[in-house]
Amino acid sequence: MYSNNEELRMAANMIRKAAREQVAPLAPSIDATGQLNPEVEGLLWDLGLMTVVFPQKYGGMAQHSGTFLCIGVEELARCCASSALMLIIQAVGSFPIIHGARPELLDRLLPRMVENRELAAYLVSEPGAGSDVASIRTTAVKDGDTYVITGTKCFATNGPVASVYSVLARTSNNGRDGLSFFLVERETPGLTIGKIEKKLGQKGSQTSEVHLEEVRVPAGNLLGEENKGFKLAMKDFDMSRPAVAAQALGIAEGAFEQMERYSRERETFGKQLCEHQMIQQILADSATLIEASRGLVYRAAAQYDEGKRNTKLASMAKVFASDAAMKITTDAIQVFGGYGYMQDYPVERMFRDAKLTQIFEGANQIQRLVIAREIRKENSTS
Amino acid sequence: MKILVCIKQVPDMEGKFQIDADGIWYSEEDLAWRMNEYDGYAVEQAVRLREQVGAAADLTVLSIGPDRVREAMKKAMAMGCDRGVHIKDNDAFRKDPFEIASLIAAFAGGKGFDVIFTGMQSQDRGSGQVGVLLAEMLGIPAVTTIVHFEFADGTLQVKRELEGGTKSVVRMKTPALVTCQLGLNTPRYPTLPNILQARKKELLSLEPSDLAKTEARLTTEKMYFPEKKGGMVLEGEPDKLADQLLAILREKTLVLR
Amino acid sequence: MKALLVGEYRDGKVLASTYELVAFAEKIGAQAAMVVIAGKESVPKFDGRLHLADAAKHGEYNPDVHKKLIQEAVNRENPDMVVLAHSSYGWDLAPRLAVALGAAQISEVVGYADGAFVVPACNAKMRRNLKSKTPVTVVTLQSGAFTLDGDPEGAPAIEPLDTPDAASTIEFVGYEAAQKSDVDLSRAEVIVSAGRGIGKKDNVEMIAKLADAIGGQLGASRPVVDSEWVDHSRQVGTTGQTVSPKLYIACGISGAIQHLAGMKKSEFVVAINTDPDAPISEIADVMVLADLTQFVPVLTEKLKVM
Repeated sequence: MYSNNEELRMAANMIRKAAREQVAPLAPSIDATGQLNPEVEGLLWDLGLMTVVFPQKYGGMAQHSGTFLCIGVEELARCCASSALMLIIQAVGSFPIIHGARPELLDRLLPRMVENRELAAYLVSEPGAGSDVASIRTTAVKDGDTYVITGTKCFATNGPVASVYSVLARTSNNGRDGLSFFLVERETPGLTIGKIEKKLGQKGSQTSEVHLEEVRVPAGNLLGEENKGFKLAMKDFDMSRPAVAAQALGIAEGAFEQMERYSRERETFGKQLCEHQMIQQILADSATLIEASRGLVYRAAAQYDEGKRNTKLASMAKVFASDAAMKITTDAIQVFGGYGYMQDYPVERMFRDAKLTQIFEGANQIQRLVIAREIRKENSTS
Repeated sequence: MKILVCIKQVPDMEGKFQIDADGIWYSEEDLAWRMNEYDGYAVEQAVRLREQVGAAADLTVLSIGPDRVREAMKKAMAMGCDRGVHIKDNDAFRKDPFEIASLIAAFAGGKGFDVIFTGMQSQDRGSGQVGVLLAEMLGIPAVTTIVHFEFADGTLQVKRELEGGTKSVVRMKTPALVTCQLGLNTPRYPTLPNILQARKKELLSLEPSDLAKTEARLTTEKMYFPEKKGGMVLEGEPDKLADQLLAILREKTLVLR
Repeated sequence: MKALLVGEYRDGKVLASTYELVAFAEKIGAQAAMVVIAGKESVPKFDGRLHLADAAKHGEYNPDVHKKLIQEAVNRENPDMVVLAHSSYGWDLAPRLAVALGAAQISEVVGYADGAFVVPACNAKMRRNLKSKTPVTVVTLQSGAFTLDGDPEGAPAIEPLDTPDAASTIEFVGYEAAQKSDVDLSRAEVIVSAGRGIGKKDNVEMIAKLADAIGGQLGASRPVVDSEWVDHSRQVGTTGQTVSPKLYIACGISGAIQHLAGMKKSEFVVAINTDPDAPISEIADVMVLADLTQFVPVLTEKLKVM
């Protein structure tokens, strides 16, 4: 984080301290067991991180909510990407609810989520539709004052443990303009959890398929307007892509700390690693990429907080920071040599964790398309 | 009930210290600042007392120093202090414990604080005097290095930590002052909403000249790094290091047979 | 120069710290008198005037009254300095005396030269030399900084001390005994201690294995005990056990004064730490700069095959 804002700096310091003291020691076991530690989950709620983008009366931040989210994600990801992922998913999964639910639904749902510490999941991807949202085949058919939803969703982080789901489904055959978001609660008949995935990294959360078989929800569970779901999903990205970028930034910072320290401790050919110029180049390049990522992440978040259109910057932050994290974690293993390849050192885990940041919330190829499209838009309207 | 907690902002002790140009204190360059560890226990205990008493309680956090100390005060307010009093003094590091205590006494005197909390000592100066000096100046009882605190019916019952793990149990009526030791409690992390709320709390700024003029009782001749004992320093790869160390232990001690 | 030494008495005994005050007075060449609130049957061995007040009457912890008694002894002796141990008794009483006497106080003195007192700063990373500007100075001495060469000896000339004003604002309720220690570290030949630098509870096992491999006992610093990673019975330091093994290996221990006071009589000290400037480096015979999680298992394996 970089800012002169006292509250933001205090929040960053506080989260860094809590992460270092309470989360870092558990990161290896979270990765090994594939379960988030309940104490860590409790801590994230205690600190107010799980509700950071909620309306203020339900524990959210009145200002700078996007930046606060990024700060929380970055500081946690320095030591445990899986814990940081919890924040991202909670924010992403609740976004269509917070910004689309009718007031009565909000007032019923959010206090309960806060009280019971319930998790939200985001059901958009399908086996045949990832970044290509227009190919979504899950349908929601209106039947009196209900909708009946049928389809299969995949890659749902927290799928097996969430209480509420934001589901994107087809309400008309109008391509991406025929999609709508619905709130579906865990206990609704017809909703079942499918296969739980075995992942490369960010293992401390369960990612699964979710099957929806004639799931009937009240018409009042429609989030936002009918057939305007795509727009809501895009707005969600404006918040979530800087947060994924912040996660990549945190992973990169964590890997950098590791390799920088190791380069001072380890000796080869009679001198410290950090005295070898080839290693110095790696350190210099990594530090530069981190600074540049930080600049992009927090500018993208600040624009979001100011209510300005940040689509281009959000994609730039996401693509740059995640590519940087992949490069830095790869180099960190190289600096550690054979030791870095072993699970005894955290850089191995950071390398695996980094990969997801290039993929989720829009693969980096999609981000580049978005950036190019935004540039064209800017220049055709001027 | 009026509660006061006095805190100091100190450098992170892991930082790289250098002696300043005058040679009597450390340079502030490249240091990260934190709330003094023992003051963290004091704030936590003050907030717990405030919560125990409820609406009838009012908790003030006080700190002396340049503008940077406001960050430590904001943290204390995010933890639950109701208001802050900043005695703005860029020269606070030159003041001895007697002068510091006199400033606080000048502020706190006649304000009717029922319980005052301080840390047992600061991590940088480490004199462990300010709390007791303040209590003596105010004419109220003080107990040092407490590791347990209870309040009921206007009486404090605390446990002091003595050498060898023994504790002594001590009782006194309010108004009173206690200095807080490691082991008293685990300070809470301020939550995000509370960090934002802290901004809205009153933070009064006072000049030392508004309060008291006191002569220093101590002068610092110099500050310096002690000479190292000259023990061996080993660095390198774990495998080589272990062989070196074992060779030394075989030569210098009789424990490896 | 004249020093009034304030002896310390608890639970029926004169504490050893009292003789460190005598050692200090000898070292700086001060003429010494002593004041102590103690039991009549337990009088410090000391050649000089001893102002003795009765602990049975005035209590062992009763700072309001002790302050008045010591003030009376100050009136009788008119010293240049009043010297106490920097202990739970001394640091509690000294500032009260300083206010009563209008004196400067200098805390945790570790040395004295040319009228300046040497005190530690910043967790003992640095030192400061201080001078007093008041006619009388109240001084507290760091535990272990000044020690007598031989056993204390002497027979004091006792001057009874009392005060008519026994009003106290603080009520002493009683002592709470330390938790019974099942592990007697004071007899161990080798101690391997874990400090905050081990990072997490899981790593205690690693340190315990090293202790096992080298035939020693596991010890711990206070933060590790407070976090409940290691039982209190294994704590080394002022609030734990005082030890003097042939070999002391400090793992991830920065070396707070309270810890050093408990182990600095060890014959040979090895510190394993990543910070070359940690205060433990001052007393370590060998400082190993390494990441514990990498170094300790390697060392343990080598010890096992020896």
